[in-house]
Amino acid sequence: MIFSTELLIQTLLSGLMVGVLYALMALGITFIYSIVKTINWAMGEFYMIGSYIQFVAVHFLLGPSWWWLAAILAAAGTFLLGLLLEPILLKPMYARPLQRRDDYATVVTIALLLLLRNLAVALGGPNQYRPESNLPVVWIGPLPQEGARVAACLFAVLALGVFWLVIKKTWVGLALRAAAQNRVAVQTAGVDVYRLDAVAFAIGVALAGFAGALLAPVFMVFPTNGAVTTVKGFEIIVIGGLGSIPGALVGGLLLGLIESLGAAFISSPYQNVYGFLLVILILIIKPNGLFGERGREA
Amino acid sequence: MWRGGFAGGALLVSVLLGLGPAAAQEPIVFGVITPLSPPGETALGQLAKRGAEIGAEYINEKGGVLGRKVALSVQDSAGKNEQAVAAYRRLVSSEKAVAVFGFIHSGANIAVNEVAKEMGVPTMGTQTGASDVTAKHYDIAFRTHAVDPPRAATWLGWIKKNNFKRVSILAETTDYGIGLAKETEKQNKDKTLGLEIQTIMFDRTTTDLLPQLLQVKAFKPDAIVNVGVGQPLDLMITQAHTVGLLPGAAMVTSYDAPARPQFWQLHGDKGVGINFVAFYSPKSELSEVGKEFAKRYQAKFNEPPVYAALNGFANALVFAEAIEKAKSTEPKAIIKALEEGSFTGWSTTPVTFPRAEGALWHNWSPPLMVLHYAAKDQTPATATVAYVLGE
Repeated sequence: MIFSTELLIQTLLSGLMVGVLYALMALGITFIYSIVKTINWAMGEFYMIGSYIQFVAVHFLLGPSWWWLAAILAAAGTFLLGLLLEPILLKPMYARPLQRRDDYATVVTIALLLLLRNLAVALGGPNQYRPESNLPVVWIGPLPQEGARVAACLFAVLALGVFWLVIKKTWVGLALRAAAQNRVAVQTAGVDVYRLDAVAFAIGVALAGFAGALLAPVFMVFPTNGAVTTVKGFEIIVIGGLGSIPGALVGGLLLGLIESLGAAFISSPYQNVYGFLLVILILIIKPNGLFGERGREA
Repeated sequence: MWRGGFAGGALLVSVLLGLGPAAAQEPIVFGVITPLSPPGETALGQLAKRGAEIGAEYINEKGGVLGRKVALSVQDSAGKNEQAVAAYRRLVSSEKAVAVFGFIHSGANIAVNEVAKEMGVPTMGTQTGASDVTAKHYDIAFRTHAVDPPRAATWLGWIKKNNFKRVSILAETTDYGIGLAKETEKQNKDKTLGLEIQTIMFDRTTTDLLPQLLQVKAFKPDAIVNVGVGQPLDLMITQAHTVGLLPGAAMVTSYDAPARPQFWQLHGDKGVGINFVAFYSPKSELSEVGKEFAKRYQAKFNEPPVYAALNGFANALVFAEAIEKAKSTEPKAIIKALEEGSFTGWSTTPVTFPRAEGALWHNWSPPLMVLHYAAKDQTPATATVAYVLGE
């Protein structure tokens, strides 16, 4: 392995940029969990749908200059899909005994994963596609980066900021935070908690769809492009803590950094292993994650 | 009259028992195990499937095999070893397949061969390059593709021809990638080529090759050997442009992925300058059946055939011819016929499977060359032939 200060700085910057994108992927999973108390195993498939919407919109309808509008359309499209699917697929689990809910949600979301993935193969074929991008290469210090990747990173930060504002400063955000703490109390206050579930699910999958759209020119569009996203997302929520939004951001950055540095300066074939080593380390030192809280038990 | 009635009754009984003409009319099943969904190399899988389908169609039009029709059972391996093994078991146990081909991923082919050596039905690697596909000398293992040594020799020949001195190999951690990286280093040493080689391996599920490419850039290579399959191959081309490695250095891909129709959609201008190892050029001479296939393929898909499709077609024909020669669908008889016979494939060179040394066991190799895209939207037919192995 070659080592130089410039190479170290380049690798650090590269890791940080990937980390921000990872954070965006994890945020949806952790947000849905915090409200609906459900792990959405099909999260990567909403990422995939977002990337396909981006490709279709840019390649066939809008052209590369309107990539940002296509990304907003992708987020809106996946939001609406989430809003439609949640009442059909997840709401029925509240009619079941408490101990069966996790099983129900796992089976339903894995079935959804398989359905969406096979639907993508049937409709779009197994080939890879890439929406055109006319963004030039950008230099961040000594590191050249694809324009599309820089734009994805900036938009990811923007999306995280908007998300934070909505959660902290709006009535809907207040209601969502309240539901995350105590569903019964929110119901007692006259809030339709099932509707909040649908909104939370839709926001979560829209974040994934937005990430898929932003990253489509970088990581390409194909039926299983969300699979890695889901794995990274789960690694991040274990590192940062399930249900913690700052945890998703810090976890994403840490994962991006450790993967990049490990691949560049330790051994490249184990790029994905470094993340899992970090997960194991966190589970030993802080089992609830860096920002996770112990669950309240009755 | 009585005799006729007896014969008719016997025929009816044999039909009912499934022993007579009805049994003879049952199709002979050829299994096709190929990647049709990611993470497999789906484009090649589709092409091999297309070729095999036209092959079965052609065989049936010519009267079938031993008077029976040929039916294909296509199974998706997704490039995964375990999925390919399950498909092989299903094909042999449930569908009574007598031959299995279509393999694109070496790992899947190698894994299937471990089961096939017990179950007995022969396999044929359609586009699997790793030595171990045939180097284990299993009776059931056949292949119609270039193995590691000639393939590495091809890009090393191209590298020497261009007088490159520093070479980076970026290879995925699969049987395919590891085998090719090791073979390139070995030939550099054995042939005292004097190249300075940097080898970097990567996990094929990775979505970011920037850390590896920054290392490559620091090495300052003249040429980069891209040993990725599917998505990593394309990611490497894109990210090598981003870090400024391309177009300064020359890149050669380890197989003919740039021959795929969607190559230019994925890469646009960044595809210009790419070199790729190819096993067939539309300028190459085809056999009579090869010409017939090319005509049918063009008519059906409105594009000229590429190598994986030609090989899928030829594999079906070779197995059909072997069964005719063996006059049996028994696996051992088919294997014996394959080993002893000479068959007609897509190329003018006869297809044979000698019990040769090392990876050349049961292996027929196509001609190898390096093609170069000098302008956007070129096809293999218009690409420059940059090097031919043995020139």
